[in-house]
Amino acid sequence: MENIIEVKNLTKLYKKKKAIDDLSFDVYKGEILGFLGPNGSGKSTTINCILSLLNFNKGNIKIFGREMSPNAYDIKRKIGVVFQDVAVFEELTVYDNIDFFCGLYVSNNNKRKKYIEDAINLVGLQEFKKYYPKQLSGGLLRRLNIACGIAHKPEIIFLDEPTVAVDPQSRNNILEGIKKLRSDGATIIYTTHYMEEVEMICDRVIVLDKGKIIAKGTTDELKYLAKIKEKITVEAKEISNQNLNQIKQLPEVQNISYENGILKISYENEKNNLENIIDFLKNNQIKYRKIYSERPTLNDVFLELTGKELRD
Amino acid sequence: MFFHNFKYTLKALLRNKGLIFWTLAFPLIMALFFNMAFSNIEKQDKFKAINVAVVTNEYYENNTMLKETFELLSDENNKDRVFDSKYVNQDEAKELLEEEKIDGYVVFSEDSQQIIVNKNGVNQTILKFVVEEIVQAEDTADIIQEKVENIFNSREENGIMETLKSIIILLQNNSANIKDNSDANLSYMTIEFFTLVAMTCLYGGILGAVAINWCLANMSNVGKRLSMTPVSKLKMVISGTLAGYLIQLVGVALLFIFTIGILKIDFGNKTFEMVVLALVGSFAGLTMGVAVTAAIKTSENAKTGILIGFTMLGCFFAGMMGVSMKYLIDKSVPIINKLNPANMITDGFYSLYYYDTLDRFYGNICGLCIFSAIMLAIAIVSLRKQKYESI
Amino acid sequence: MIVYKTFLKVLNKCKFPIILYSAILLFFAGINMSSNDNTMDFTAEKPNIAVINNDKEEGITKSFLEYLHENTNIKDIKNDEQEIKDALFYREIQYIVYIPEGFSDSFLDGKNPQLEIKSTGEYQSELADMIVERYIKVAKRYRGSTDSDEELFEKIDETLSKKADVEIISKMDTKTITRLTRYFNFSAYSFIAISIYVISTILFIFKSEKINRRTIVGSIDYKKVNAKLLIANSGFCFIIWAIYFICARILIGEVAFSTYGIYFAINSLIFVICTVTLGFFVSHFVKSRNTITALINIIGLGSSFLCGVFVPMEYLPEGVLKIAHVLPAYWFVKNNELIGSTEVFSGDVIKSLVINAAVIIGFTIVFFVGSNIVTKKKMKAE
Repeated sequence: MENIIEVKNLTKLYKKKKAIDDLSFDVYKGEILGFLGPNGSGKSTTINCILSLLNFNKGNIKIFGREMSPNAYDIKRKIGVVFQDVAVFEELTVYDNIDFFCGLYVSNNNKRKKYIEDAINLVGLQEFKKYYPKQLSGGLLRRLNIACGIAHKPEIIFLDEPTVAVDPQSRNNILEGIKKLRSDGATIIYTTHYMEEVEMICDRVIVLDKGKIIAKGTTDELKYLAKIKEKITVEAKEISNQNLNQIKQLPEVQNISYENGILKISYENEKNNLENIIDFLKNNQIKYRKIYSERPTLNDVFLELTGKELRD
Repeated sequence: MFFHNFKYTLKALLRNKGLIFWTLAFPLIMALFFNMAFSNIEKQDKFKAINVAVVTNEYYENNTMLKETFELLSDENNKDRVFDSKYVNQDEAKELLEEEKIDGYVVFSEDSQQIIVNKNGVNQTILKFVVEEIVQAEDTADIIQEKVENIFNSREENGIMETLKSIIILLQNNSANIKDNSDANLSYMTIEFFTLVAMTCLYGGILGAVAINWCLANMSNVGKRLSMTPVSKLKMVISGTLAGYLIQLVGVALLFIFTIGILKIDFGNKTFEMVVLALVGSFAGLTMGVAVTAAIKTSENAKTGILIGFTMLGCFFAGMMGVSMKYLIDKSVPIINKLNPANMITDGFYSLYYYDTLDRFYGNICGLCIFSAIMLAIAIVSLRKQKYESI
Repeated sequence: MIVYKTFLKVLNKCKFPIILYSAILLFFAGINMSSNDNTMDFTAEKPNIAVINNDKEEGITKSFLEYLHENTNIKDIKNDEQEIKDALFYREIQYIVYIPEGFSDSFLDGKNPQLEIKSTGEYQSELADMIVERYIKVAKRYRGSTDSDEELFEKIDETLSKKADVEIISKMDTKTITRLTRYFNFSAYSFIAISIYVISTILFIFKSEKINRRTIVGSIDYKKVNAKLLIANSGFCFIIWAIYFICARILIGEVAFSTYGIYFAINSLIFVICTVTLGFFVSHFVKSRNTITALINIIGLGSSFLCGVFVPMEYLPEGVLKIAHVLPAYWFVKNNELIGSTEVFSGDVIKSLVINAAVIIGFTIVFFVGSNIVTKKKMKAE
């Protein structure tokens, strides 16, 4: 696989605190790479360093095999960035905003018109071309924000939490759009703290915490890292302590917790666990309202690796 | 790319209603207010005949000299007219005074002259003064008679023709030889309008400030996005500020057209120098705006607030809220106004309006250029950064 | 209670502008504090002049200078062309006399040496002109008729010091009353600015934070909410008014608590209530915080310039005053001027005062009804 971005030993200090601690990774051509981590884990800082917006203390960054710098205009030309905060002109319409940003890359008018149409279609803002940003809802605004960043058809696209505070419809639209961009040949770096999104669209994931990479790989590879292989949840009002102890002794059970009438059991292996627990409940005449089994999520992986939840 | 950014910055700035209000409309509204409020003040100050009354008692009626003097002083065709006199009886005079139709009245009698007024003031003093002079003239008549007699007595030594000549000279030569060298363009209210131009020039800096704010990655989100485009920061900054400068100049031009063309305010006649001053002054405002934006890290609104506040303070010291403030500062703490761009612009217009020489004008232009240079230096130091410690 | 609580919260946020607008008032009131003489005897006005003497200080020049010292205020201006020009332009002096070299000798020789002068052409300069001219004329008349120069100067002096009797019939302390009038006139600007600022800000926050919806849903009558806000605002403005009144006592003196002061106070209280409803009415047209500042400037400065707050009414052109009739500040200032120039508060005077006050109250009612209509319409639109 071809390396399109290489990051080596990247370290950045804010005052004396390490915001990024010796980060090294590569981005392969044509993939969607997810950066997963809680708020303040260093995702945005890493991206800003890669983009040469921030000074860093150590390390080097190559894009398309060349050193990245603020004046590397030929590299910048092939990059599209969608920052976390909406960055559009309040004073310009949807169309003008896209035209303005696109025009800084593409000076040919006809070509630009085509590009703008493509971007508008991609994010589904066809009916809002003449609207001003103030008139758009949060989700539509996010879509405009994305359109402004990708209208010039860049080869590498950075998307920094593009779905924060977005309604489900817009979120789906955005995620579909990102897949489409990849299938059109772009390489995408995607940061988020929503693991569902990562599971949905990312080929590869880098999990960050406190500026360090704590895991990387495909979603399946990551899940394999988890000790838990299955989780069963039982909603039952009354389970005696004795019964709880008995459950703990069942085969493959790694851990249990019982709070507010909800029993959670984690297993080290997936082997007829559901059957076993249903039998146990039946035999002990414990009434339950619901019972279901889940596969471990990235959140569980994260929880296991760091001892805390992904979302705060 | 340069023109592309210029065009869109212009479009975005023009769409910003708040900005346009402060930079284009507000000065015009102020000019209108100023004109409405101040247009009469100076006319009122200009000396006009004072309203007085003379009580027409028997003594006055019989004293031809007194009567004629008063009539001459009140004659509309006399260019040295002092009074607009009414000739009434005592009761009417009193009533006129109470109704404030006159500033005072005089009652002449054999051995005294009584002046009745209702307050202290210049007009009252002038009335008193003229009455005294009339009385004194009566006294000095004797002396002149004596002088004429003296000359006449020496007719045998000097010959009759010489004596007559001397008498004529004596009589003719009774006026004071005073040469009035008063300057033209003494209308101090024009200072108000000069400060208004200064305000407009400096407010224009807000446009530059907003335009630059858009280009800076550490100041705005749009700035972050723009710094990722393959266009150099220098190009963006210059095209953005140019767009701001253009609107700023339009604002100043509108103010000139409105004040000079419609309100008919007299700015003097040195048009070329005025245009130069407006361009330099606006540039000073622009550089100030850019420097504030580039060097101070805070929200766009706060930056606008700083610029408005600084400009208004400067205009205050330059005489906007009372012309005498400028004079007070100029005389007692000149350093403040030497550093104050609003005053440099105001003073520049003042010197063009009132002074014949251009020395003071050049001094102001130099001051503005130095100010701009300092602001530009601050801006460049801050703008050169392309990578930041934190965003 | 939510209405009052929010009100106080917002008020706390508005501290700075309120202090600013009050400071402006006190500053301008302070500027007017210049002189403090209360004498009721006539004192001749002395014009401010400057003398540039290039002659030796002897002979007729000395006598002339002494005379000028007595009859004018001679300001100390440096003999520098720029300083002199500036002093004339900014009216520090109204008149300047240049005494040429050898003036005294030439004059006593019987010649007619020239004095140069510059003047502003205003009342004071006219007076200065008379003063100067009179000396020269009198001196000329006596010249040659005396045995010695000393006798000449004495004669001139004797003639010039003859004064006419002047009687002042008014017993009013016009200067302090004028100051008090200006003070209350100026407060119009502060009242308008503060009312619009505070009320618009509060209503803006009420609207933007969902409180508005809650109050509507909360089955509270919009009229009641409006009335509550109005009461809160009036209470606040009443406090501001009381502070201003006390400041008047401190800055201007006991006259603030005299009959005049009471009339001024009543008049300004009526006006304050009017500005509250004005602020209320205007606040319905506020779409953003920027609009608030724009409105304060247009309405506050506009009223002030057109209605004789900044520039006394007597100096305003008639056309401007005609336009000003449609502004409440005009009637407020008119009343102030009337109070300030009244010696005896007779029936006629009080009648005019009441009529003017009634007009202000009329405006108050119009603004109040207007705001209720606008609120009602807006609610229906939503």
